[in-house]
Parts: sequence; C-alpha cells; structure tokens
Amino acid sequence: MKDIVEIQIWQFALVYLLLIIVLAVMKKCKINQTKLLAVASVRMTLQLVIAGLILTYIFENPHPLFTVVYVACMTTFAIHRVISKNKEINTKFKIAIAVSLSVSGLCIVVFFVCVVVGESIFNPQYVIPISGMIMGNAMNGTTLGVKTFRESFSGQRSKIDALLNIGVTPQKILLPFVNQALEMALLPTLNSMIGMGIVSLPGMMTGQMLSGTLPKTAILYQIAIMIAVCTVVCLSVFGSLYLGYKTMYNEKNQIQL
Amino acid sequence: MDIILSVNNLNFKDIISYPKIEIERNKATFICGQSGCGKSTLLKLFNVTASSTKGEITYNGNLIDSLDSIELRKEITLVSQTVFLFDGTIEDNFNQYYMYRSLPALSAKDMKKYLSLCCADFDLETKCETMSGGERQRVFVAICLSFMPKVLMLDEPTSALDESTAKRFFTNIKYYCSDNNITLIVISHDKGLANVFADNIVKLEKRLSI
Repeated sequence: MKDIVEIQIWQFALVYLLLIIVLAVMKKCKINQTKLLAVASVRMTLQLVIAGLILTYIFENPHPLFTVVYVACMTTFAIHRVISKNKEINTKFKIAIAVSLSVSGLCIVVFFVCVVVGESIFNPQYVIPISGMIMGNAMNGTTLGVKTFRESFSGQRSKIDALLNIGVTPQKILLPFVNQALEMALLPTLNSMIGMGIVSLPGMMTGQMLSGTLPKTAILYQIAIMIAVCTVVCLSVFGSLYLGYKTMYNEKNQIQL
Repeated sequence: MDIILSVNNLNFKDIISYPKIEIERNKATFICGQSGCGKSTLLKLFNVTASSTKGEITYNGNLIDSLDSIELRKEITLVSQTVFLFDGTIEDNFNQYYMYRSLPALSAKDMKKYLSLCCADFDLETKCETMSGGERQRVFVAICLSFMPKVLMLDEPTSALDESTAKRFFTNIKYYCSDNNITLIVISHDKGLANVFADNIVKLEKRLSI
C-alpha cells in the first residue's frame, strides 16, 4: 500500500471554495446564518490547527504528564458540556454525572489501550485519539440521556404527584423514567452500528485507510471502537441517571429535580 | 371529641400560617377559604409531600415527621386537583395504580362498585383519553377511594361537576366513608355543599405570618 499523499497547502486552500456554495444556498434561501458560518469555519480551523500543533509536540516529546493532562482536559470539557446543557438539575446530580462520565470513560480507555491494543496507557498516539472518540460519544450519549430524563420528568409532574399521594415510593416512580432515558440514549449508537459499513465508512476507519493502514486492520479497530463506544454510552448514562435519580428525593420522600 | 389530625402553630415558608386545627375521626371536615389562604398546602403538609417551616402536625397523637412518609401516605391519601390517569381503559388504570402500590389487581365487580360510588358508572373498557374533565376526576377519586385509606383528602373534587351530580357524589362518598370508618377532608369553594355535607367546617383566612 502507498502512503498517503501529502496535501499541498495551496491545494488545501481550495477546499474553502466549497463554502461559497453553502453561502450561495444560504443567500438564496434567506438563511441569516452567514455570520455563524464564518465564525464556525474560522473556529474549526483555528482549534484544529492548535490541536495539531499540540499533538505534534506531544508525539515528538512523549511524556506521561502530557498524555494525562490532555485526557484530563478532554474529560473536563465533556463533563462541562453535559452539565451546561442540563442546568436545571441539582448539584449532587451534577456530581453524579461528572463521576459516571469520567470513571466509565477512563476505564474503557484503559481497557481498550492496554488490553485490546496492548499499548502503554501513556502512549499519546493511541491514548489521545481513542480517548477523544470515547469521551466524545460518552458526552453526546449522556447529554441526550439526562435531557430525556429531565424533560420527561418535568412533563409528567402530575403523574409523579398522583403516585406520591397514594403512597408509592420515589424509587418506584422514578425508575421507569431512568430506564426510558437510558434506552433513548442508546438508540443512536445502536442505529449507527446497524448502518455501519453499508452507507458510510466511519471516520476512524476512513482516516486509517487514507494513511495506508490495511482495511483488515482498520476494520478490527473500528469494530473494537464501536463496541467500546456502545459500552461507554451505556455505562455513563446508567451511572449518571442511576446515581442521579437518588439525589432527587429526601428522607421525607419528597421529589424535586 | 376523637381527634385524628391536629395542627399547632403551623407555618409554611413564612407565607402561610395556620390557626389551631383539629380534624375529627370518621367525620367529614370541609375546609373553606379564599384562594391563596393555604387550603391545598395544608393537605400537602398532612401527607408530607410538603414540609412545614414551623409548628407541628400530629396524626393519632404522633408527630407526622416521626412517621414513615410512605406508610403515612397510604393511610392519609390525597386526591389532588390535578387528575392523572394513564392512557388506556378504566380497567387499565385501576391495574396500573394497583401495580404501583404492589397490590393484587382489583376484581371487575369491585372496580364497578367504587366507580358507581363516585357517580362514574362507565364501562370498564372506556378509554380514559376520550372522557371529559369531570368524568376523569370521578374515575380518579374512585381509584383512590378503592385503596381504602384511613383518611381521604379531596381537593376540589366537584370543581368540574354540575350541582346535582356533585350532590349525588357527596351523598355517596359521605355515607360510604362514615360506614367504613374513613375520615373525610374536603376542600370546596361551594358553601352550599359544605353546609349540607360537612360535620365540621374549618374556615381559613389569609393571615400574614408574624
């Protein structure tokens, strides 16, 4: 297999021309988001350039500390995103989310890198991209799970009150909400597993093949990462909601989000 | 006088303060007063779905804070103003509520008995989604009554009923409760109903806390 063709900078710059098409469609349909398009394009470019520079430096000067700090930043950012999309919940619930997301994410990363791949947990070339995928998916899944839980809880306040008033325990009232939200959070991952390889080749596999990896190896990685992603979403959402719902009632069995 | 529930120096969030109130056992007590004087809140304090800021409530002589709140709510059952019924038939609703209470399902005959007591003689196969507000309200009371609590608290149970149905409803409920040793507490805006059916009337006034 041939190594990947290095993109020339001037050729690369041509890709930005495609944005003109988006711009034209936006103008035609009177979508007033041209500013957002500009900001998004610039931010994406800058963020990726910075990430690229940092990763180049870390790969050339591998040090366990760099890997740890990078993964810690990723985890913190993921937690922050989940919580900022679910501001209404109580502080203990937020702690439950932070603990579940980081513990389940990190355990899966360690298992993946050390056991499945068989690399050192401090090898940045493996740990950083894999953590990115694991944490990113855990973040999306948990955001969706907690949001579903919160919204169905608020929407069904009259059901909750009616059941409390006839002497049903908060556990029995809230657990169906937990189960339903967990199912909702798992569905996107399961659905993407069903379509995988037919319509789309997933990003990681495409990237590996472009850089010269044999499809056989790329497929093994992709299968492993999909299963890891499914597990981490399941664990993180389950942990967040299962620990979280217990923060919603007090010793007098009154329920509050 | 045999007192089942009593209230002393009760205060809720420094917004509402209550006078001394005593609820007589196995009698029908009506609670009256203008909006915002704390009628519904009082019922929530009785079944500990809300907590008082100051003061005490005793049930059979015990402070309610010292009792297990779940067991307490099984004995002092509140039928709140907001009715909740599951999607499905009346029978489904009885079954769902009984499942939540971990009780064996009620027989169709018993379901009919309680529905009829609450002037809700509908077919058990009737879909609850298609019923009117007043019909749903009566089905909901029937389900709560069928649990046979020691104290049944009804918050505006006849707000969506016409006068003659409301009278039939209260006649049935009142006699059933006194026959079965159930203490009845009712919030009602309707002075006429209170005068006819109440054994005792508690008048609450809007009082600012001191």
